[in-house]
Amino acid sequence: MTRVRIGVLQFPGLNCETETLRALGWAGVDGELVRWNEPATRLATYAGYVIPGGFSYQDRVRAGAIAAKSPLMDELARQAERGKPVLGLCNGAQILVEAGLAPATAAGHVDAALARNNIAGWEGYHARWVFVRAPTGARCFFTEGLAEPLPMPVAHGEGRFLFGDPAVDREIERRGLRALVYCTPDGEEAAAFPDNPNGSTHALAGLAGLDGQVLAFMPHPERAARLWHVPEDLPGPWGERRRRAASDFAALSADGPGMRLLRAFARLGARGGS
Amino acid sequence: MIVPVGTLDDAPLSAALRELSLSLKLAEARRVAQLLGRDPTDTELTLFDAMWSEHCSYKSSRAVLKRFLPTEAGNVILGPGEDAGIVELAEIDGVRWALVLGHESHNHPSQVMPVEGAATGIGGIVRDIYCMGAEVIATLDPLRFGDPAGSNGERSLEIAREVMEGIALYGNALGIPNLGGDVVFDACFDDNCLVNVVALGLVRADHIVRSRVPEQARREPYDFILVGKATDWSGMGGAAFASADLDLAAAQENKGSVQVADPFLKRVLALANAAMLELARRNDAPIGFKDLGAGGIACVSSELAAAGEVGIELDLSLANLAEPALPSRVAACSETQERFGLAVPARITDQLLRLYNQTYDLPGISEGAGARRVGRILVPSAGEVPRYRMVRGGEVVVDAPIHTIVDGIRYERDSRDGTPARSPTPLRTQGRDLGEDLVALLASPHLCSRRALFQHYDSEVQGRTVLRPGEADAGVLAPLPGAAVGVAVSCDGNPRIARVDPYLGGACAVIEAARNVACVGGVPAAITDCLNYGNPEVPEVFHTFVAGVRGIGDACRGLGRMDAPGEPLPVVSGNVSFYNQSAHGAAIDPSPIVCCVGIVPDIARCRSLTLKAAGDGLYRLGAFAPQLGGSLYARWIEASWVGDVPPPDYAAIRAEIATVLDALRDRLAVAVHDVSEGGTLAALAEMALGPESRGRLGAHVDLAPFAGTAGAGAAAFGEAGAFLVEVQAAGTAAFERLAAQHGAQCAHLGEVVAQPQLHVDGLGGPPLRVPLARLAQARERTMPRLLARGVLA
Repeated sequence: MTRVRIGVLQFPGLNCETETLRALGWAGVDGELVRWNEPATRLATYAGYVIPGGFSYQDRVRAGAIAAKSPLMDELARQAERGKPVLGLCNGAQILVEAGLAPATAAGHVDAALARNNIAGWEGYHARWVFVRAPTGARCFFTEGLAEPLPMPVAHGEGRFLFGDPAVDREIERRGLRALVYCTPDGEEAAAFPDNPNGSTHALAGLAGLDGQVLAFMPHPERAARLWHVPEDLPGPWGERRRRAASDFAALSADGPGMRLLRAFARLGARGGS
Repeated sequence: MIVPVGTLDDAPLSAALRELSLSLKLAEARRVAQLLGRDPTDTELTLFDAMWSEHCSYKSSRAVLKRFLPTEAGNVILGPGEDAGIVELAEIDGVRWALVLGHESHNHPSQVMPVEGAATGIGGIVRDIYCMGAEVIATLDPLRFGDPAGSNGERSLEIAREVMEGIALYGNALGIPNLGGDVVFDACFDDNCLVNVVALGLVRADHIVRSRVPEQARREPYDFILVGKATDWSGMGGAAFASADLDLAAAQENKGSVQVADPFLKRVLALANAAMLELARRNDAPIGFKDLGAGGIACVSSELAAAGEVGIELDLSLANLAEPALPSRVAACSETQERFGLAVPARITDQLLRLYNQTYDLPGISEGAGARRVGRILVPSAGEVPRYRMVRGGEVVVDAPIHTIVDGIRYERDSRDGTPARSPTPLRTQGRDLGEDLVALLASPHLCSRRALFQHYDSEVQGRTVLRPGEADAGVLAPLPGAAVGVAVSCDGNPRIARVDPYLGGACAVIEAARNVACVGGVPAAITDCLNYGNPEVPEVFHTFVAGVRGIGDACRGLGRMDAPGEPLPVVSGNVSFYNQSAHGAAIDPSPIVCCVGIVPDIARCRSLTLKAAGDGLYRLGAFAPQLGGSLYARWIEASWVGDVPPPDYAAIRAEIATVLDALRDRLAVAVHDVSEGGTLAALAEMALGPESRGRLGAHVDLAPFAGTAGAGAAAFGEAGAFLVEVQAAGTAAFERLAAQHGAQCAHLGEVVAQPQLHVDGLGGPPLRVPLARLAQARERTMPRLLARGVLA
């Protein structure tokens, strides 16, 4: 049986391509890199798309702003509107937001921003493991059933979701685009640092777009794809699972928490989108 | 332009050299003229200035390194001599994999422009790894800053913050996980910080590329290709800058010597280089590949050719220069970042240029960047001496037998022991509250949590990280995710020990790095070192250097390879950084820094250092010693350098390492931590607290048997090397048998307990009872304060 093919967009400065491809392979689909200067028409042949993390175009202007204007993204938008799933991780999320694909309350409208982290009066890059879960009422195709807290790392300087217009806020809530929120290890929505690692509005970690087939997600599920990725001292059930698996390579090679999301994405791709 | 070296007297020659910003000595300049048999051009003088700098030529250190350091062992694929060393990793599914190790310093640039200095330090060492054909899979940063509470405290902290920013800026953007390193604060670094950087690469053994023109160049025409950023003024004179005293006034002028980093271009270059290597393999085309560092185009082209015993001819007018009017000596020798030199068969030149310039669109990524053919390899006929020729249009700017350029020069430096006499007075701990001392040590800049620093670094990009900085004594990667094999890596160097005893400073750096790697189940495989010292022309300083190198060599032989009896732990690469002192003459304390890599047979053996379960046994592997010389306790609590450093016993250390490795393999040990700065009590506190100081399990131990022989202070805080091991309650008998089999000195200290406190009996007086909450608070509060702008501890 031929495996589902996923286009992995490679803009200059991205740097998480390799582990993203690897994790997609673990999820049972074949990722293929599409370089920034390749013809955009190539994109049509894929069942879904991932934009990995990194520093596209050196974060010039704003993180994701330059890549968002590329011909590849115009084509990606067309494919997304046809219902194909699109997952943006970290810088990929910033690109999707800058391209107006999330939340996309109106087609092509940029109505959200990812602002500098704001951590107790301090701004800037911050890397740590956090917990995320899908809030009730989320209507994103990737995150159905992800109600339990999933640990994974964040590593970014600009991850704070901001909306200028309260109407957008309401629209996001109404349409269930608040796909994943930061939470405590026990699952309580996290308003403040450190469980909310960047001061994000409504504890948003992942914002869906269009009809839920697009997800702009700041954490890195591809770095939480195996149980051995999970820190041994992490609190909660995943930490417990990790500690029980210690000393056993086969057990440590089981799916990590990030695979819940990546497998959901792969399933969606396999169904040919929504 | 010809410089009439032969006819100028001292004063005008001196002025001429100064005019060109060269640091060649008069005798050296005249030696250039002698070698060439004529007056040199300004470009030739600039070229020799770079090639004969301490930084490039190792003119003071080479003989010492060669004499004392073991560089050969069964697992060494490539020892020192090229850009980085290479050791065996593992064979997986029929493919032999190897690790590439490099170590570099960027001390002077980081003192002057910390952000750029630290960033380009990473930039330089990763190029060294890439050009062996490898992927870069980790970096580590051993850092040394001035005393935060000292007279230069504010500046020292500013440098620390900016260095951290530079590391984050470059490493994060390039996508290389930072696996830690270490940080030391001491007044001896007030005017001269140390910013060392280690890089680790992964390569298939059959894909290794060498930094030399291949043999094949004798059978078909070869081109020289220059790839990367457009050459500009930046970094002009960088090699000479790294090889001189850091005079602060001059340092301001030297800002032009600090290079400008471009991680964005470098990231695309890394992709393009990987594609280039594949293209060369597909075409069955052996290539030579080398990065441009100090000495720029001239250095890279001459070394590539000389290593292949061929000549080379370049035309600077073919190179991509940032401005057409760039003087030849600058174009030839500037240290512009993000460039590589390649020697490739002419038959693949066009394909290769297309790959860089069109497929990866370098000119579109960075203005003026790209790949250009700038020269060709000249194969000498029999009996002919290979020549180095550089022209610019019609003008010859360099023409010399190639060996004169790369052979360098040597100096025999005088050495005189000037180690300060040691005070014989033992440290008095009677009447001290050792619990309070422990709290003070954990709150000190030396032992406080490094979390506030590490969280600015990406330690997980590439998805290979198993143990992050702070989780254990060594960082661990799964280099080939899906395979069980792991790589453990740790950097160490204790300037306090080296100050009291420069020889043991070298030896202990090796021992501690090897112990750290063993703590996570890594079998020490090789080391790479960075030797940071003062002015080698001062005999007392040179003595400390020779002693340190001797110590490193002795420790490498003394420890040896655990998995290959009789073989030394090989030194596969390294760096020497001299002239680390201010113009006022104060040299830094000797600072040999050692990075050890270990091979972990199965990453399932890697455990965090945090205590795991109440009821488990706590053991100490390693003898107690009464000496407190060079210890943090003596220095921090008593402000004294008292006495001797405990001497290492290599057979005992081997037995301890063997016990730890077997105990992790047999799942008896569930947490292992080495005893170093702060001694047994600090190590125990760190195990109870865990990486984020959230640990909830305490420990109850009795140190009476050791306090009796070593004294309470040494039992609590002595730094005689050892391991603390948490052993599963059900496995203590088996563990004790294991230690006995290996002949390791093994003491049962007590148990892990559910109460969140350290309970220590036997130190004289009432038992110590310190709540973990108190220790956590002490340990976590300091670094955020140090890193907060404008706030002193």
